[in-house]
Amino acid sequence: MPPSALPGMPPPQGREDIESTWNYLQYGITRIMHNLQDGVDLNTYMGVYTAVHNFCTSQKVVGMSIANNFSGASQRGAHLLGEDLYKKLSEYLSGHLRELVTQSRAHTDEALLAFYIREWQRYTDAAKYIHHLFRYLNRHWVKREIDEGKKNVYDVYTLHLVQWRDVFFTQVSTKVMDAVLKLVEKQRNGETIEHNQIKQVVDSFVSLGMNDGDSSKSTLDVYRFHFERPFLDATMLFYQKESQEFVAQNSVVEYMKKAEARLEEEEERVKMYLHPDIAIPLKKACNQVLIADHSNMLRDEFQVLLDSDREEDMARMYSLLSRIPDGLDPLRTKFETHVRKAGLAAVAKVASDADKLEPKVYVDALLEIHTQYQGLVKRAFKDEPEFTRSLDNACREFVNRNEVCKSGSNKSPELLAKYADFLLRKSGTGTEGADLESSLVQIMTVFKYIEDKDVFQKFYSRMLARRLVHSNSSSDDAETSMIGKLKEACGFEYTNKLQRMFLDMQISKDLNAGFREHVQSSLDSKGLDSSYSILGTGFWPLSPPGTNFNPPEEVAADCERFGRFYKAKHEGRKLTWLWQLCKGEVKANYIRNAKMPYTFQVSIYQMAILLLFNDKDKNTYEEIATTTQLNSEALDPSLGILVKAKVLNIEGGSAKVGPGATFSLNYDFKNKKYRVNLNVGMKSETKQEEAETNKTIEEDRKLLLQSAIVRIMKARKRMKHQQLVSETINQIRARFVPKVGDIKKCIEILLDKEYLERLDDDDIGYLA
Amino acid sequence: MAAEKSLQRVTLTSNDGTQIEVDRAVAERSILIKNLIDDLGESAVASDAIPIPNVNDAVLRKVLEWCEHHRNDPPQSADDENDNRKKTTDIDEWDQKFMQVDQEMLFEIILAANYLDIKALLDVGCKTVANMIKGKSPEEIRKTFNITNDFTPEEEEQIRRENEWAEDR
Repeated sequence: MPPSALPGMPPPQGREDIESTWNYLQYGITRIMHNLQDGVDLNTYMGVYTAVHNFCTSQKVVGMSIANNFSGASQRGAHLLGEDLYKKLSEYLSGHLRELVTQSRAHTDEALLAFYIREWQRYTDAAKYIHHLFRYLNRHWVKREIDEGKKNVYDVYTLHLVQWRDVFFTQVSTKVMDAVLKLVEKQRNGETIEHNQIKQVVDSFVSLGMNDGDSSKSTLDVYRFHFERPFLDATMLFYQKESQEFVAQNSVVEYMKKAEARLEEEEERVKMYLHPDIAIPLKKACNQVLIADHSNMLRDEFQVLLDSDREEDMARMYSLLSRIPDGLDPLRTKFETHVRKAGLAAVAKVASDADKLEPKVYVDALLEIHTQYQGLVKRAFKDEPEFTRSLDNACREFVNRNEVCKSGSNKSPELLAKYADFLLRKSGTGTEGADLESSLVQIMTVFKYIEDKDVFQKFYSRMLARRLVHSNSSSDDAETSMIGKLKEACGFEYTNKLQRMFLDMQISKDLNAGFREHVQSSLDSKGLDSSYSILGTGFWPLSPPGTNFNPPEEVAADCERFGRFYKAKHEGRKLTWLWQLCKGEVKANYIRNAKMPYTFQVSIYQMAILLLFNDKDKNTYEEIATTTQLNSEALDPSLGILVKAKVLNIEGGSAKVGPGATFSLNYDFKNKKYRVNLNVGMKSETKQEEAETNKTIEEDRKLLLQSAIVRIMKARKRMKHQQLVSETINQIRARFVPKVGDIKKCIEILLDKEYLERLDDDDIGYLA
Repeated sequence: MAAEKSLQRVTLTSNDGTQIEVDRAVAERSILIKNLIDDLGESAVASDAIPIPNVNDAVLRKVLEWCEHHRNDPPQSADDENDNRKKTTDIDEWDQKFMQVDQEMLFEIILAANYLDIKALLDVGCKTVANMIKGKSPEEIRKTFNITNDFTPEEEEQIRRENEWAEDR
């Protein structure tokens, strides 16, 4: 038996006697419970442990004697002792805790918190000791009870917690929580508090979450019910009141700043002394009272912010409203409307005279709005996809349906294509390299929104053709880059022809080199310095000349030579001369007072006219018309320019180009430059071209629709009429927005042509 | 536990007053002693011997011999309880030799292991006893452990009937 070390400690005796054993133990436990800070000596520690051990083991003898008495099968098996001890301990703890309840009544608020924390600390420290000292009981009796599924039996440490919860905590938790909430409110009002106290209370509440079924697991139920719930309630109440008062006295922007600060503060609070489990519900509660409850007010302010372009405040509003479910939807709607209006207004500003509208001005107006609001989306709305979509919707709207497009929806793609032409043409603006490339990228930005992409294609190819034929494209690289971009956006088919045109020019270059060699090697070396372009019929948006033409001899001879050369290479191909696109230079040696001869850059028509004056100085209109075979539509403008430039003098008649007029060579021609460009395009010509382009678009669309319909039907064989229409819309949408009526018409055409057949039940069938 | 334990040696006192000094790591094979040092602190055991009131000198030395041999065994966790260790009666060679002692000593070791909370030693002891019982008839077992048969023939018959399922046939 261990010697009793503590004065007054009853000697441990009667190992099987619960009363005397407990007397001994109680003395030790009380000391641990109340005076742990004074330490426990070795003898007491070992004494208590040994007493527990001896009590649990000694009565085995008794147990065995019961078995020996053989009082039935149920008594067999090892009988572990300890229940009495467990009960005594449990009662002792209840007593201790009841005493604490009484003591706690003397304290309120922070003093109560301090009391709670102090007692909790002391109690749990003691519990760890006692747990160890009663380890023998834990290892045997408790383990057996738990293994057998007994409820309400815990290991000794857990027993401490259970008793704390059931006896003490239930009595004081509300008061403790009140004190906690008061403290937190103080802090929210700007006072400095001892927040470590709250952290300790939280830890204590969390520790009490024993799982009654399984002591090895713990839950947060106690904490959630006794701490989280009242904490959230108090938080909501506090902010409800605060936000209402604040809103009444301050601007919305000020409120947003306040709310932002408060939300941040609460997040900080969780990190500082709350359980991480509360983070999400607390955030939710704060979002509700600080944002959701005021969301209408915030949203109303959004328009004001948009109008005054207050990016920072919009970013703030975005981040606030993004915290609540569906918070941003109304913002997006407002944003979309706003951008659309801004776009329309910007267009209206430049569209005062739609006919004279510079493509660059128009495209810049569109881009400016897009750039402005894309920047806003990026900086204020974090590039959120839904906002980007709203932006896209708005842009599509104002790009395709604005003041300028009133006359026809083709206007946007047409102007955009013209702007592209303006950039890519030599002597355009002088933008080059990186600048040019970035301008092309901008064109693609607008292009993305264009609905009638086929119109753009039409205009673009026409203008590309012109650039190529007149070789006044600013650079091949830029052209290739642009075609590449279009291909990326719309696919191979879209740019196929453009690429072919490009290729044709490449091939023609080689062909000309070959032809030159051929001419030089042949005996007849008196050829012209000529160059030819072979343009594939299907790929170029060009048509044969609208007039007869009898080329001058010199030219005709060279053309014929080339024709033979070409046919020798490519048998069976037919060459059509596009005279209207031909041009050349003639040197004027006849002019008096000229230090050096002038060079005239002329169209082939003009060339034919001028060459006539090699033979005589005067020609009548009729003579010219007969020799050149040109009709008046081609002849008049050509002559007009020559007269206007004073290369020819007009005599007789009404001094107007037309029948009856006589033209004579002006020997006194004077010009500042020695190279004179007389081959200037005629306004009416381009106007006509535009109209033509627009006309072909309608035709082409019909074909596109029909081919789409046939493609679909070929794949599906049989389809409902309605389905076919919507499928066709889907397929064709990348090019333009088709009208349902047009689709129906095209189906009718295909039915007539017997590509399709009408079946029962509104079905359409495919006829191979 | 702290990686640096300044205290390396502790002294134990058996119930007959003998003091035995051992390495702390050896003594801490006993969970009781380990908890005690953790709870009371190193200073408490640095100068004073730890009383072991339930174990005498001879048994304590025997137990410490085992602990010394097993000082570097990995500490077993609670989950090990249900694995193979329990299901087999295999004992490693050194432990078998260690357990070749008279019956009284064997039971003293088991009791001490139980008291001092040295689970592995308790298991070895119990397995040794189990191996002594294995394959023996009740009569042989009684002889082995010197037990007098205090069952009446009727009682014996009833027990035999109830445990028939366990018979090795």
